Amino acid sequence: MSPLCPILRAAGSLEDYRRDALPAPQRRILRDHLAACAECRGLAAAQDPTMLFARPFSAEELPEEDARRILANVRTAVAFAETERRIRRSSRRRFAGAAAAAAAFGALLLMTPGGGSDRVELAAARPTPSATGDASAAAPSELASRAVQPAALTAETDGLPTDATVYEWSPGAGREEPRVVWIVDRGLDI
Amino acid sequence: MELVYSQRQSRQESAELPDRDLAVRARGGDMVAFETLVTRKTSAVVSLARRIVGNSEDARDVAQMVFLRVWNEIHRYDEKYSLNTWLYRIATNLSIDFLRSSRSRERAHGATLHIVREREESTASDATRNAEDAELARLFETVSGRLSEKQKAAFVLREMQDCETREIAEILGCGESTVRNHLFNARRILRREIGRLFPEFLRGRPLA
Repeated sequence: MSPLCPILRAAGSLEDYRRDALPAPQRRILRDHLAACAECRGLAAAQDPTMLFARPFSAEELPEEDARRILANVRTAVAFAETERRIRRSSRRRFAGAAAAAAAFGALLLMTPGGGSDRVELAAARPTPSATGDASAAAPSELASRAVQPAALTAETDGLPTDATVYEWSPGAGREEPRVVWIVDRGLDI
Repeated sequence: MELVYSQRQSRQESAELPDRDLAVRARGGDMVAFETLVTRKTSAVVSLARRIVGNSEDARDVAQMVFLRVWNEIHRYDEKYSLNTWLYRIATNLSIDFLRSSRSRERAHGATLHIVREREESTASDATRNAEDAELARLFETVSGRLSEKQKAAFVLREMQDCETREIAEILGCGESTVRNHLFNARRILRREIGRLFPEFLRGRPLA
């Protein structure tokens, strides 16, 4: 190193710099000086060519058009990711809703007097995939004759997509009492 | 009309906010704040990625991936820490992943050959600081092909981005002593490669 350069002598030795042993302020002084002084830079590089890189680098100036293109691509990618996330979230919600409905239905069946034994009958009354279109005709009559008492339980699929079943439960069959209706995904049906 | 005015106002407001505040707003779903952050950090991210992956085209691709990752992971950002460290961590890791892919390796090799040619043809009239930076960046791209991804990332972060060793350890997810080790080995390999490819840099070495 140039013995004539007091700045570098004050900053510390190049050896310390290379060993990463210089404190941050001295390191900064040394780098700034090497960036500014061609003579010292040449001498430092002659000792160790990796000292050529010991200087603050300016960030690469990006053409405005490239920066705009990157921003536009990021915007598109983010919009796509958000749409995907929304779809995932809504299908998770649908799944959770269907599962909750199925669980509530099961719990109600168990709570109904004689509900436990009716489960088999309910399974029998459930429309088969081939009978999906007109299950409403068979299910209410079968269930009315042998299903839960005093409740009436019906399974209907008329006018619905083939992957859903509607169950209706009337606690006071024949009387004007509130009814409970479930729409259950066939894949989750119990 | 009102919406356009409000968006413009929001952009103006965002442009004046510090990085950390922008990140906090983006975390709350503010897209304008996020875009301001992207605009502000694009050059730095492209520069860092370019020095690691070795060419500008790939660096732009990496930058896009970086910002998408930032958006997806922004809920994890803790404003107690520097945004730059967090951003550099994502940028460095994605650049390393990119570099590891065979496609990238092939491109880096091609780019290196191109850079060597370019350097041979370059004139000695590069007097300005930016031109010197560009020259050094090209030199680095040429001689850094033998570095491992981590060595290269550590050297770029330390020498070109001027990050602290502690920060680099955080970015690379390793200890400070490992960073020093990477730096030591990177210097050794670079010294050898510069001596082999560009011996003129060693001319006039006083203690040779």
